[in-house]
Amino acid sequence: MATTETPAPSSTAAAPPALPQIVAHKVERPNTGWTSWVTTTDHKKIGIMYLVLTFVFFILGGVEALLIRLQLAQADNTLLSPQTYNELFTMHGTTMIFLFVVPIWAGFGNYFVPLMIGARDMAFPKLNAMSFWMLLMGGIVFYASIFFSPPECGWTCYSPLSSSNYLPTSGVDAWIFLIHLTGISSLIGAINFYATIANMRAPGLGWGRLPLFVWTILTYSILLILALPVIAAAVTLLLTDRHFGTHFYDPSSGGSPLLWQHLFWFFGHPEVYIMILPGFGVVSEVLPVFARKPIFGYKAIAAATVVIAFLGLLVWAHHMFATPSPTIVLVFFMMSSFLIAVPTGVKIFNWIATLWRGTIEYKTPLLFSVGFIGTFLIGGITGVFLAIFPVDWQLTDTYFVVAHLHYVLVGGSVFTIFAGLYYWFPKMTGRMMFEGLGKTSFWLMLVGFHTTFFVQHAIGLDGMPRRVYEYPDVGNLELYNQISTVGSFILATGIGVTVFNVYRSLKKGPIAGPDPWKGNTLEWYTQSPPPANNFDSVPRIRSVEPMKDIRRQVARQGEPAEPQVPIASASTAPEQGLQPSSGG
Amino acid sequence: MDAAVPLAGAHDTHHHGPPEANRSSRVDPQLLGMLLFIISEIMVFAAFFTAYFFIRIVGENEWPARGTELPVLVAGVNTAILLSSSLTLHWAQTSVKNGNRFGLKAGMFTTFLLGATFLLVQVNEYVHIGFSPADHAQGSVFYGLTGLHGAHVFIGLLLLGVVTVRSFRGHFSKEEHRGLEIPGIYWHFVDVMWIVVYTTIYII
Ligand code: HEM
Ligand SMILES: [Cu+2]
Repeated sequence: MATTETPAPSSTAAAPPALPQIVAHKVERPNTGWTSWVTTTDHKKIGIMYLVLTFVFFILGGVEALLIRLQLAQADNTLLSPQTYNELFTMHGTTMIFLFVVPIWAGFGNYFVPLMIGARDMAFPKLNAMSFWMLLMGGIVFYASIFFSPPECGWTCYSPLSSSNYLPTSGVDAWIFLIHLTGISSLIGAINFYATIANMRAPGLGWGRLPLFVWTILTYSILLILALPVIAAAVTLLLTDRHFGTHFYDPSSGGSPLLWQHLFWFFGHPEVYIMILPGFGVVSEVLPVFARKPIFGYKAIAAATVVIAFLGLLVWAHHMFATPSPTIVLVFFMMSSFLIAVPTGVKIFNWIATLWRGTIEYKTPLLFSVGFIGTFLIGGITGVFLAIFPVDWQLTDTYFVVAHLHYVLVGGSVFTIFAGLYYWFPKMTGRMMFEGLGKTSFWLMLVGFHTTFFVQHAIGLDGMPRRVYEYPDVGNLELYNQISTVGSFILATGIGVTVFNVYRSLKKGPIAGPDPWKGNTLEWYTQSPPPANNFDSVPRIRSVEPMKDIRRQVARQGEPAEPQVPIASASTAPEQGLQPSSGG
Repeated sequence: MDAAVPLAGAHDTHHHGPPEANRSSRVDPQLLGMLLFIISEIMVFAAFFTAYFFIRIVGENEWPARGTELPVLVAGVNTAILLSSSLTLHWAQTSVKNGNRFGLKAGMFTTFLLGATFLLVQVNEYVHIGFSPADHAQGSVFYGLTGLHGAHVFIGLLLLGVVTVRSFRGHFSKEEHRGLEIPGIYWHFVDVMWIVVYTTIYII
């Protein structure tokens, strides 16, 4: 508890300056064991809980995906009933988006934003704990529906399919409450991130020196604050339509199903950037460290992040090209979608330029980052195809869209999540992950991913609709689908290797020390794992790469080049060197 | 940790524990949090207004629905009641800054009463208005928007209730009145939002 500060015992040595004292009437003993987790308000513990919980959901969503692929492995397959199939793809999409990708960034953000900006914790630690528990509640409410009747309306739950006429079962309600609960969780989290980043940066850490990952978490938070309330409102209207007889989405009494689509996609498109921008941030941290070269175009990358977020709010109707809309509207949303490819391209060129002529260390985080660049690029290009509305009329609701969204979400978000995991695992646990297993996992995932999804472009071009439980044996459809299913199992094996790697590295991984990668940002300044208060001293920040400054300073003082010493001297000695007066 | 002391040099040897937290912004985190929360609230209202727009403008439905009437006048008086509660709240806020405890207590108490009156009048309006949210889409939107706003008034009243009780118990002072300031911002927001709701629903 922060309020029980007792006077320092050694302060009698010299005349101590008067310290304000708070007399503790009762000192609570620190919790140990599992209670230390359920009662914690420490951002690092909450971050770990986020990461573990979301990874559990990732595995659940993955199993659902494999079942889907098994059903599709054969034409006219009867493995799953149509109803079960609908339930599975709904659970899969909802889980991956609302319970895995969005909250896992909150997990990384929780752990690393305070460390990267030199803060002791988040701005509102109790609300932070609440965010986590709301997420868990949302997940439980949603998954409880497997014991009665899971929803069958896809992650988009379009009206009128989601109305009580067509889906009277309470699965849709479970889905609605999931949106409410995870929405509140993310909203509180977003406000917390924003306040933390605005208020708690280390001395000298101006906006122009903010680590790029922190920039992306800031943008992620702004998008969440703007987009989430809209979906929360939309599902509330859906709930009253379903249970209180209102007619918001009911065209027979003056309502409008298009209203749902507009509200949903006004949230839905920013949501895809919510899922990818922090991944951009991870890559922007990883590449310069492993290319041993400063990031190329720091300002351009930071600015592109903000521009993408802004444009991301203006493109939502590219998901609605097939609805009756005036041509001028179609053209507007086509052009705005083209525009958003520009800042995205800026980032890709900056990343490539960062790698260019670098002294590249082929470690697992780098592999995942480079794999991301190539894969995401393909997804971005198919996105531009789909944004051309006449093309979209042909391709919408086919497997081509499925291919697009997985190239950007798996090749984009999941690969960067894995890059982040391998990059930051040593900081969180004090141990390295095994490189051999990491590389095996990467190659299996890369090959498995492209085997699964590249061929889905062809499936879509051949006209197979998405979200159907069976297909006839015409043309090459069955062959294509079989390739895709085989790929999905390779991909799953690759993910399994990383899970095993985490398990083994926790016990046997090589000891990491505070700064195993020679990182650039402040989280590498403290012990691994960091102590409860994060830092014993915080240096003054003088550039985008404070750790490089510190290492240089230490080297100049003739000390060992790396601060591989225990935290006390590691943190105080360089700081002494960094006093402006003692330079040189 | 003690090993650090000899090395610390310029470091304050008496300071144990984590370093002083650095404040990188002049805005209070609590104030910032409330402002961000209000932005999210504006987005909730915006979504409800989109529903209104779709049903009234895009769907070209009559407004108000055929055979129904909205009590513009009563709601207008109610608007005046709610707006004056913002004034009394402001009175309480300036009083506490000037060390005027009577003004603080009286201001908070009247604010609370005015807010509660607004809510009661609205409930009474629901009882007598003669259509239900299930009758037609216009009814759904009417109850949706006014109900959403009413829920905000209710939450605001809970917050103001706490502040009122605290001011009667002698909390808050010239220097320390953030606990009054931040719910106050919320209340002013709820009031301003009502002007928008009233104008769109009752007047145009
Ligand atoms: C260059 C930028 C992008 C453009 C122009 C673009 C364009 C599109 C278009 C037009 C669609 C609608 C296809 C249809 O349903 O007919 C679509 C779907 C989708 N996109 Fe993108 N996209 C881009 C980037 C991204 C990114 C970065 C993500 C996620 C990280 C993403 C995720 C999705 C998802 C999830 C869907 C499917 C939504 C559904 O379930 O219907 N897109 N995209
Ligand atoms: Cu989109």
